[in-house]
Amino acid sequence: MTSLPLRAPRIFISDRPLPWLIPLIAILVVFALYPFFYNIYLSLHEFVPRKRELIFVGIENWERLFEDSRMWGALWITLLYTGICLAIQLVLGMVIALLIDSDDPGFGILRGLLTLTLVIPPAITGMMFLLMEDAQFGVITYFLQSMGFLTGGSILANNTSALVGVMLADIWQWTPFMVLIFVAGLRALPTDPFESAMIDGASSWQIFRRLTLPMMSKVIAIAVLIRGIDLFRTFDYVYVMTSGGPGTSTYTLSLYAWQQTFSFIKWGYGATISLFALFVILIAANIFVSLTKTRW
Amino acid sequence: MNPIDRKLYLASITDRYVKGKMDRRSFLRAAGKLGLGAGVLGLSSMMPFGGRGGFISPAAAAEIEPDAEMMAWLKETAKPFAGQTVRLATESTPPSNAINSALKPFFEAATGIKVEIEVLPLEQVLQKLTLDVASGLGTYDLYYIDQSWMASFSGDVIDPREKYAASTDLAMPNYNMDDFLPALVDGISMYEDTMVGVPYDIPIFITMYRADIYEELGLKVPTTMDEYMANAVAIQQAKQPEIYGTNGQMKSGHYSLECDWTAWLWAHGGSIFGPDGKFTGNDEAGLAAMEYWIKLKENMPEGVTTWTWDGQGQSMAQGIIGQALSWGEFFPFWDNPEASKVSGLMEAAVPPAPKAPLRTTAQTGYGEIPGVGHQGGSSLAVSKYSKNEDAAWLFAQWATSFDTQVYITTLGGGTGPTRKSVYDDPRIKANSKKGIGGTTRHLDAVRDTIANHMGSEPDLPQWAELSNDTIPVELGRFWAGDYDSPKAAMDSIAEKVDSIVARG
Amino acid sequence: MLLSPTQRLLRAFAAWAVVALFVFPIYYWITVAFKVEREIFSLPPKVFQFTPSWKSFEEVFGVSLGFENGLEVIPGGGNFYMTPRLVDSIVVAFFSTILAVAIAVLAAYALSRMRIKGQHHFVFWILSTRMMPPVAVAIPMFFIYKNFGLLDTHIGIILIHALMNMPLAVLLLKSFFDDIPTEIDEAALIDGASRFLIFRKIVLPMAMGGIAATAVLCFIFSWTEFLFVLTLTQTSLKTVPVVSSTFVTSTGTAWGNMAALGTAAMLPAFIFVLLVQKNLVRGLTLGSLKQ
Repeated sequence: MTSLPLRAPRIFISDRPLPWLIPLIAILVVFALYPFFYNIYLSLHEFVPRKRELIFVGIENWERLFEDSRMWGALWITLLYTGICLAIQLVLGMVIALLIDSDDPGFGILRGLLTLTLVIPPAITGMMFLLMEDAQFGVITYFLQSMGFLTGGSILANNTSALVGVMLADIWQWTPFMVLIFVAGLRALPTDPFESAMIDGASSWQIFRRLTLPMMSKVIAIAVLIRGIDLFRTFDYVYVMTSGGPGTSTYTLSLYAWQQTFSFIKWGYGATISLFALFVILIAANIFVSLTKTRW
Repeated sequence: MNPIDRKLYLASITDRYVKGKMDRRSFLRAAGKLGLGAGVLGLSSMMPFGGRGGFISPAAAAEIEPDAEMMAWLKETAKPFAGQTVRLATESTPPSNAINSALKPFFEAATGIKVEIEVLPLEQVLQKLTLDVASGLGTYDLYYIDQSWMASFSGDVIDPREKYAASTDLAMPNYNMDDFLPALVDGISMYEDTMVGVPYDIPIFITMYRADIYEELGLKVPTTMDEYMANAVAIQQAKQPEIYGTNGQMKSGHYSLECDWTAWLWAHGGSIFGPDGKFTGNDEAGLAAMEYWIKLKENMPEGVTTWTWDGQGQSMAQGIIGQALSWGEFFPFWDNPEASKVSGLMEAAVPPAPKAPLRTTAQTGYGEIPGVGHQGGSSLAVSKYSKNEDAAWLFAQWATSFDTQVYITTLGGGTGPTRKSVYDDPRIKANSKKGIGGTTRHLDAVRDTIANHMGSEPDLPQWAELSNDTIPVELGRFWAGDYDSPKAAMDSIAEKVDSIVARG
Repeated sequence: MLLSPTQRLLRAFAAWAVVALFVFPIYYWITVAFKVEREIFSLPPKVFQFTPSWKSFEEVFGVSLGFENGLEVIPGGGNFYMTPRLVDSIVVAFFSTILAVAIAVLAAYALSRMRIKGQHHFVFWILSTRMMPPVAVAIPMFFIYKNFGLLDTHIGIILIHALMNMPLAVLLLKSFFDDIPTEIDEAALIDGASRFLIFRKIVLPMAMGGIAATAVLCFIFSWTEFLFVLTLTQTSLKTVPVVSSTFVTSTGTAWGNMAALGTAAMLPAFIFVLLVQKNLVRGLTLGSLKQ
C-alpha cells in the first residue's frame, strides 16, 4: 500500500472530464445553440413576402403572442393532451412492464411484439388510426358501434371525442416506449433486497412501493421527462388525423408554429411561438426536476 | 421459359426500360421474343397507373412515341445544357405522376438534361417552395404552383410569355401559347399583370352521379340547384341505410372544406369578397348558401366532416353515394373495376345552374370569379432563382406541350388537359370507354365546365392563410356545433378574415 | 417473485391479452397491405376474410412476385418504387444510432464518474436541447446545411438525427452507469488502470444492457423522424416516414401501397430491436457484481 500516494496524481490527470465531453459539446453547440439564437433573432423580425426579406419589428411579435387567443387555446389543448397522455402512458407502462417482466417462456416474444408499435413512424400511425376511426369504414368505429359504446356520430367529428381519438393513437404508440424503458430499469435492479423482503413476508404492493419505485425513480424521471417533452411538441397525429379540428379542438402549439412558419410564411411569429413553447417546457421541466428532487 | 420466369424477365426489362437504361427498340425486341407485342398483350385499354401512379404497363409504355419533330428540336436546342439537372417539387397529381413514371426518360434521353422530381402532398410542396423562395437559394428550378398560392409566389418566377418572347432560340416551335384554354390562363396563371406559370393541370368540380340509381328512381340529370337537392333527397329516402344521397369533402381545418363552401356560395349568387375588399360571405346570398348546404348535409353520411377529397372519392368508389359535385379527377379512378365498385355506373355532367345570377368580377374583389365549377388548377413555373433557367424552361415547355399532354391524358390517372387541342385528339377520344380505368369519357363535361361554369378563387397574398386555415377552421367549428346559427359563424369569419386582410 | 402455477398461467394469459390488444392495429394494417383497393373500404370492415394480393408490395418494391394471374401487374419504376428509400432509412438510422451512442457513452461516463462544476445544470441544458419544437430547428439547419453542402446528403441527416437523440442517450446511459457501483472503478484506479481502460474493460461490458436499450430507442427515433428529413432532403435520399406521404395523391390515398411500405418497413427496425434486446438480461449489472 506504500505505492498509493505515487499513483494519486495519475488518477487526477485521467479524471479530467473535458476530453470525454468535447464531442458532445461540439455537436450541441452547432446543432442546438445556433438554432436557439437564430430563433431569437427571427422572433424580433418578420418576413415580408412581397420584398422577400426580413425586417426588424422589435417586440411586436411578442406583443401579438400574448394577445393571441388562438395561441392560448392551443397552449391549453397542448397541456391537456400532454397531461392526460403522460399520466395514462406512465401508469399503463408501469403495469404492463411489471406484467411482462418475467423469464417464463414466451415473455421474450411478448416484449419483442410490444416494441413493434414503436417502429411505425408517427405519420403512418396517424394515417392508420385515421382509417380505423373513420365514421363509415373504420374498424374501431365498427367495433365500438357493435358493442354499443358509440351511437351514431363520428369519433373525429366531435369536439371532445376528436381529442380522445388522437390521444388513442399516441397512447397506443408510446405506452410500449415506457414499457421498454421500465423493463430495462427493472432488469437492472439488484435481486438481493427483493429476496430479503420476501423472506420478511412483505406483500407485493409493499415491495413495489418501498423497493421497486424508489430504486427505479431515476429511470422513471427520465422516461417522464423525455415523453413529456415529446408530448408537448406533438405534431404528426393532429396534423394527419384532424388538422387541429373540428374547429380548434385538437389544435396544438407545434401545429400552430408549423402553420405560421410554412403555410402563412410568418417566420418571425412562428419562431416566437416556438420560443414560447420552449420556455413553457423549460419551466415545467424545472418544476418537475425540483419536485422529484432529481439531481444529475 | 416457364410463366413465372417469363414474368420476372419481362418485369426486369420493363424496369430497365422505364428507368432509361434500355432504349425502346431493344425493349420491344426483347418483349417480342417473349411473344409479347403490344397487340398480343391486349392491354391497350388497361389502366396503366392503377389510378395513382404506381406502375406502368409495358404495353402503354411501349405505345409512347413522342413527336419526332419536337424531340429532334429538343435534342438540338438542349446541347449547351446537357448534363445539367433540373429539380421540381410537385404534388402527386396525374400529370406529375405520368411524367415522373413514364414520360421523363424520353426528355432525358433527348436532351441529356437530368430531371429530378420530388413528389409530395400539397401542403409539403408549399413548405418546400416557401423555404426556397425565402432563402432565394434556387434549390428548385421549377415550381408547381397551386392556384391558391399564385399571389404569394408571383414575384419569384419568370413570366413564361416574356421568356418565350425573349429567348427565341429556346422557344419551342408550334408550342402555341394561345392553345391554352383562355379561362384557365385567367384563372390559374394570371396574377395582376404577371403570368405566373404555364397552365399545367385543371381539376374542376363537375356533377357526377350514379346512372343506375338515377334510372331506377326515374331521376333526371340536375340542371338547377333545386333539382340537385331534390335528387339527393330522393336517393337518400329511397336507398337508406345502404346508400346516401350525396357526400362532401368537409374536414375541419382543411382546404377541401373551403372548396366545397365556395361552390355553394357562388351558386347562390354570393361571393367571398365584395368590391371594397371586405368579406361578403355573411350577406343574404351567403346565408342562403349556408341554408342550402345544411339541408344538403342531411343527405350525407356521418363521416363527411372528417373527410377530405380522399374520403369523398373513396365513399363514392364503395358505391354508398348517389351523386356528388366534386373534382372530375376522380372519374377515371371510379371507372377502374379493380379499385372501385361503381365501375361503368357513373356519369358526368356540367354543374347545375346557379340559383341566383353569378356575381361579376366587378361585384367581387381580388379577381374572384364566381362559378359553380370550382377549379383547383395549377401551373408550372420557372424559378427566378434557378441556376439552370434555360434547361428548366425547356422542360416546362416540353411538359406542357400538346404531345406530352396527350400522353399524360392517355396514360390515365385523370388529368384535365389545359390545352384546347388535346380534348379533340383521336388518341384521347379512343380512351373514352365505359368501365375502364383511365377513361376519358368525362372530359366533355370538363371542357364544357371550364368554358362556361368555372369559378376561381380570389388572388391575394393572404389567401393561402385564409383558404387553408381561417375559413375552413371556422366552418369546421360551425359543423361541430360551436355556433348557434350560420349567421353567427359567418359574422365571425367575416371579422377574422377582414382583420387578417387589413394586417397585410 | 414466486408465483403458484395458476398465478403464472393467469399472468401469461393477461400478458398475451394485453399484447394482442397492442398488436391488433398492426395486424389490421398488414391486412390492408394485402387487400385489393376495393376491399380496404368494405362494410363491415374485413378483418379476417379477404382475398390476399401481393399487388401493393409488387408496386412498392418493383418486383413481380408472380402471384397474380396473367400479366396484369408488371411493376417498373414509377413514383411508388420505394426499395432505395428503405435502404436510405436503414443507413441513416444505423449510422446515426452508432454516432449518437458513441458520443453519448463517453459523455455519460464522465458525467457519472467525475464531478463537474455545475453538473446538474449542464445535464439540464443537454436535456433542454430536445425541447425546441422541430420546426424551429429545421429552418436554421436548412440554411447551415445549404452553406456547408450537407443539404440532401446522408451525412447531414445522420448528424441531425444523432443530435436529436443526444439528450435521451446521455441521460439514459448516465442513469445506467450510475447503477454500477463506483467501488469497482476506484479499486481499478488504485491498481493503476487508466480511466479509459476501466471504461472500456469494466464499465462498458457491465452496462451493455443499458447501452442496448439506448441504441434501440435511438434507432427507433431516427427511423420514425419526419420533419428534419422532409426539410433537409430533396431527391437524393428520403426515409420511410417522408416517402409514405407520396401515397397521398390528389386523387386519393393509395392505402394499400402505404400499408405495404409500412409493413415492410417494420421488419428492419424490428430485427434490429430483437438483436439488441438479447442483451436485456436480468442482473447483468448489479447482480453480477455481488460475488
